[in-house]
Amino acid sequence: MTSITPGVGVAGLLARPYKTLRLEWTSELSQLRVRTGVRPIPCYTLSAMAELQQVLADISANPGLVRHFVLSSDVPRVFSFGGDLALFVLLARAGDIESLQLYGRRCVDLVWWMENAASLGVHTTVLCQGDTLGGGLESVLPFHRIIFERGAQAGFPEVLFNLFPGMGAWDFTIRRAGFVVANEMILSGRLYTAEELHYRRVIDAVVDDGAGDAAIDATVREIEPRHRGTLAALRARRVAAPVQQASLLSIVDHWAESAMGLTNRDLRLMERLARAQARKAGGADEGAVEEIKRLELELAWGDRRTGVERRSGWGADRRTQT
Amino acid sequence: MLPFFAELVSTTDEDRRAFETHPVIVDAVAQGLPLERYRALLLELYHVVWYFNPVCAVAASRMGSTAQDALQPLRHFLYEHMQEESGHEDWVMNDLAAIGVTPEATRAHAPTPHTLALVGYNHWAAAFRHPCSVLGMLYALEVIASVYGGPFASAIRERLLLDGDAGVSFIASHATMDAQHMADLRKILNRVPQDEAARAAVIESARVNFHHFTRIVEAV
Repeated sequence: MTSITPGVGVAGLLARPYKTLRLEWTSELSQLRVRTGVRPIPCYTLSAMAELQQVLADISANPGLVRHFVLSSDVPRVFSFGGDLALFVLLARAGDIESLQLYGRRCVDLVWWMENAASLGVHTTVLCQGDTLGGGLESVLPFHRIIFERGAQAGFPEVLFNLFPGMGAWDFTIRRAGFVVANEMILSGRLYTAEELHYRRVIDAVVDDGAGDAAIDATVREIEPRHRGTLAALRARRVAAPVQQASLLSIVDHWAESAMGLTNRDLRLMERLARAQARKAGGADEGAVEEIKRLELELAWGDRRTGVERRSGWGADRRTQT
Repeated sequence: MLPFFAELVSTTDEDRRAFETHPVIVDAVAQGLPLERYRALLLELYHVVWYFNPVCAVAASRMGSTAQDALQPLRHFLYEHMQEESGHEDWVMNDLAAIGVTPEATRAHAPTPHTLALVGYNHWAAAFRHPCSVLGMLYALEVIASVYGGPFASAIRERLLLDGDAGVSFIASHATMDAQHMADLRKILNRVPQDEAARAAVIESARVNFHHFTRIVEAV
């Protein structure tokens, strides 16, 4: 349960013993930087989301204390793989739509806070220095400024296993980059380089690998002298192009219902992705990104050869198929 | 109020993740296990599987009486489950035989303290703590099988160059079977009475089972 200690200042904010987060305070800028560190597979677990929610609750309970909120990952080469795949497999197999809805609503709570951060007097910046997949990409889209290092890749691969990103991808991608880009990204499931995301206006800046921290500093120092005006403009932006919480929650319900329809084949594909994540966590060069690219190729070639999916049964020997 | 299954999932999520994120588990799912370590794991699993039904029987025998039978649905569920699981220790034995361990060697194997602790806790909890604790055991073991069994079986096949299900039939089949078991288990867990002692027993048992199973795999 989230507990709030109002009015305790920076010391109170930084005092909580987080397991998955590392907090840094820059008093000169009233900047709180949060580095996420779910290991070995960086994803949005229930406890990681609870900890992040606690940080945000503490910021809300101390108005005016934090002027800049910065998020990045402490895990090399990965920002976030998104949702907790093993948990999804568990809940899908159990037919537990309530828990899936609960999970989705907790994700929406986090993106909704980011969406309203300007109203709380907080400017938000996120730095992605590695793989940013599915819910991981969804989670950064509400930020006021999104910075990618050049080596980072991102996308919404969910459609490859018959699901879709259900925690803000549609609303926030449409607002950032337009309907055509959102359509392309979500319905193709393909992955994009940082340059491709920047070209499509999904993200705000691409910097060289290793230059992310300097880019954060430059961004925050650029915003600081015009902090009030910037936040006022961002609040007005929400009026001009609103994202509705009801829409986010409704899509979560659609997402949970879709998860109930996942077949064993779809769940096996998710397991395959989880294995790839585990391999990268173990030090392999290839991980989820490369596995997704393999999946894309397999699915594309399957359609082209026969007009239908090549694999009708998981694990069947292709040599014996007629 | 959350259904009990949802409460169980969220309350024990970190225990599940402690299993999932243990370096030995991560490595095993990614790359499989060398032959000797896989043999060692199956030898421990043989004992876990052997005692599964006796533990369920102890629990079922304590679930209610002719005078008070609120736990009847849970008891009947255990009867059916025991029927389905009957003889599954033979599947483990067959897998061991496929990778070079004779049935005689399997029966003669002395389990590790971690397996003894797991089986011992489950028996004690069913006999003396609360009969509903057996549902925590079922939950933990079926989560491990249905969520992690499939990727683990694939990794073992690849690592040991096994054909089909030979050598992995128990783990691979339970990965598939326990998909339906998970759905059934959710329904029965949502029928655990709104009794604090019963629910606490289920949660405690799930946590202990995740913990000890992690120790078992860690030790091989």
